Amino acid sequence: MASFDLTVKYAGEGGEGVISSGDFTMRAAARMGYEVVTFKSFPAEIKGGYALSQVRMSDEKILSQGDGFDVLVAFNGEAYEVNKPLLREGTVLIWDGPEGGDFEPEFEELEKMGVILYAVPMSQLAKKEVGAYITKNVIAVASTFEILGMPIEYLKEEIVNKFSKKGQDVIDLNFKAIEVAQKYVRENIKKIDPYKVPGPLPKKDVIIVEGNEAIALGAAVAGCKVYAAYPITPATTIGNYLAPIILKTGGYVYQAEDEISSMAIVIGASFAGVKAMTATSGPGISLMQELIGLASMTETPCVVVDVQRGGPSTGMPTKHDQADLFAAALGGHGDDQRIVIAPTNVEENFYLTIEAFNLSERYQVPVLLLTDASLSLRAEAIPTPNIKEIQSKLIERPVIRKGEVSPEEIEHIFRYQITDTGISPFFVPGESPKPYTATGLEHGENSYPRTTPKERTEMMDKRFRKMKNIEDENPHLVEWDLGDLREGEKADIAVITWGLTASIAKEAIQRLRNKGIKVAALYPKLLYPLPSKAIEKVASMADIVLVPEANYLGHLARFIRMFSNVPPEKIVQYNIYRGEPFIPKEIEEKVEELLGKKVEA
Amino acid sequence: MDIQYVRLEEKLPPKEYKSDLEPTWCPGCGDFGVVTALTRAFSEEKLDPTALSLVSGIGCSSRLPLWMNAFGLHSCHGRAIPAAVGVRLAKPEIPTIVTAGDGDLFSIGMEHFPHAARKNFDMVVISMDNRMYALTKNQVSPTSRTGYKGSLTPYGNLDNPFNVLEFSIACGATFVAQTYAGNPKHMTEIIEAAIEHKGFAFINILSPCPTYNKIDTFKFYKGRLIDINKELGHDPSDKNKAMELASHALDSDWDPNAKVPIGIFYKTEDVPTFEEKVEALKEKYKPENPETVWDEILAQYKL
Repeated sequence: MASFDLTVKYAGEGGEGVISSGDFTMRAAARMGYEVVTFKSFPAEIKGGYALSQVRMSDEKILSQGDGFDVLVAFNGEAYEVNKPLLREGTVLIWDGPEGGDFEPEFEELEKMGVILYAVPMSQLAKKEVGAYITKNVIAVASTFEILGMPIEYLKEEIVNKFSKKGQDVIDLNFKAIEVAQKYVRENIKKIDPYKVPGPLPKKDVIIVEGNEAIALGAAVAGCKVYAAYPITPATTIGNYLAPIILKTGGYVYQAEDEISSMAIVIGASFAGVKAMTATSGPGISLMQELIGLASMTETPCVVVDVQRGGPSTGMPTKHDQADLFAAALGGHGDDQRIVIAPTNVEENFYLTIEAFNLSERYQVPVLLLTDASLSLRAEAIPTPNIKEIQSKLIERPVIRKGEVSPEEIEHIFRYQITDTGISPFFVPGESPKPYTATGLEHGENSYPRTTPKERTEMMDKRFRKMKNIEDENPHLVEWDLGDLREGEKADIAVITWGLTASIAKEAIQRLRNKGIKVAALYPKLLYPLPSKAIEKVASMADIVLVPEANYLGHLARFIRMFSNVPPEKIVQYNIYRGEPFIPKEIEEKVEELLGKKVEA
Repeated sequence: MDIQYVRLEEKLPPKEYKSDLEPTWCPGCGDFGVVTALTRAFSEEKLDPTALSLVSGIGCSSRLPLWMNAFGLHSCHGRAIPAAVGVRLAKPEIPTIVTAGDGDLFSIGMEHFPHAARKNFDMVVISMDNRMYALTKNQVSPTSRTGYKGSLTPYGNLDNPFNVLEFSIACGATFVAQTYAGNPKHMTEIIEAAIEHKGFAFINILSPCPTYNKIDTFKFYKGRLIDINKELGHDPSDKNKAMELASHALDSDWDPNAKVPIGIFYKTEDVPTFEEKVEALKEKYKPENPETVWDEILAQYKL
């Protein structure tokens, strides 16, 4: 168990600096050597609406955003009202008062509950003492730092980093806000809470990245040369982050006229021999389906990132959901071949983006990477990756190059050659000696259109042969979490889950194990083709197989029923679809409920 | 940034640009002439079949890459232009020709044309314009005449035909021409000029469908064509005049005395191509030392 685990939540109105308050805090904590995980949520509108930014810091690896928070900094009445039901004994509430704010907490009630209240008149100090309301969030952050004993010089350095382009005046103004806050806290607040950020710990070699940033970095490291996309929340920032990086690595971020053209551009670029990617969210995936089928039929490697959001239709563009698995795997017409993988945390966003390129180059299929709105915004400090080592292991398609084969040999080499693995040689304009036409029509080995029953059957078999052994060939795409159990040993319960929910379940499972419950868990990163062997194995270890997912239908649970031999009566779906991720406690309690032995708190 | 196409040192005979496949088009289809003209133009331009890409969508004419000896991408209905944009972004040294039909380019794929044109991608976009959908057995297309009887409009087309020449000039295409499938010599010259043009070159090829369209036939065009450059002395650098001429391109639909204009309507090389701008950016931001580029990138993410 971690000896230090603290969660600070800033909440208020969108546009008031709530998000940057969390970022300042997260970066300072990371500089102190702590592990950090953020959770942010804001409305789809540019200004207004309820926004939150939560920072969890610990001296050990953090798996999830946690169950709640220890310190709430409420910028306004709405933030207080929304979070009031979550306040408990020992929670610190820093609120905009006693004067100048738009609300007053129910003192008696809260004090009876054991909530610790500190009034910091953020609005008033910003207006009257600093002379700029815009510094309200810096007052809030600086007060929080002061109360928690976090080094204020880290905040100052972050202010300099963030505002250096805006000029010394802006920096001075924010420094003044910091001084005002410090003075106010020292003179007016008597600390009675137990929370203190001890630090600093030894410095680690880490980079701080958000989920979408990690994907952008991964794409550039993998050698992506063409990135084409259309703006869509919450995927847009992948392109934002990638645009300056890819220019340094010889590529280009292209803003296309829509998602359909994005996907066509990716296919055209890959057909021409370079690695290409697009990123979108639900509505864009719907639009791309026909072209994903073309990539599959023409065996053109490509990577499609789907940052899932609440659907269907426009749904909830900034909210968490895991309901695109069916669309990603089976959304096209006809029997096509795709690979779907899903990361469970920010670090995996980076490594699995590279993996997506490797898989697409190896199997010559479109690879869909499923993340989600929460993961896209989540920041983590991850160990600095060794780029040279990663790049030395990249997989490239088997291009037949001019001069490498004799004219006689090339007569017998075909773009869609039928092979034991189903994987054929690749031809590229400008590099290969033999032209061909990639076509979405059914075709023979030489790419000429063919419709005879024999050739059709042979080519379908060839394409599906590529998919047959993907699980066996990529055991690293399935994460086993057995605790002290050996494989095959009897467990009280098996848990299978994916995406962000997997990292949250992992924390719940650790707690359950601490209570003596035997849990066998599996987190498949490969979702399609479904790694049925591993799933059957883990399911065989228990009588109950719990599948928590943030979707209504239970996409993975239904995939398990459809593509594996796990007895359907064992499978227990646990679905939430409220637009927020699970909290570990929910999964913990669900398991206890299922096992019929609710442990006393 | 000057981007040069890959070219051969010696000319290849035109037949070397044909694949072993025989076109599945109906006898008498105008598109046969387009194949002939393309092979001649490729030969004249010394293009390398192994460094040439032909990109198409879906439809009768979009099958064309299959009949050719060159890299082809027979994509999805309407998506020829963005697929070609992908090739351009990946390999700007590979000449890229879109060979599609009027329905593919101007109905299902309409959202792509204006953007590729205004961005001035260096590609040739050929519309084999038979003024209807043939592969699905006779429906009206955006270029069909008013009153044209398609299977879904048996009472006659209610729409006005779309003037693709005016449209492409307005979109910012830097080369706009019309030619005729019945005149291989003119077609070849126009295609050659379009390949040599640096920028977005649109060629509308009047290519009759002998099976379904009994109005816009070779017979109809015979004697009605007028070469705007040779016969009218039109200077393609004159944009206003180009628009004026283009605005009369469909007059023959209702005026029996009107001529059908062919030739280069508009051409300018004052506009840099999109690919040149991208290459310039890549050059500008190229790392001084590629060995340490990742150290520099990762440094931004460190604390």
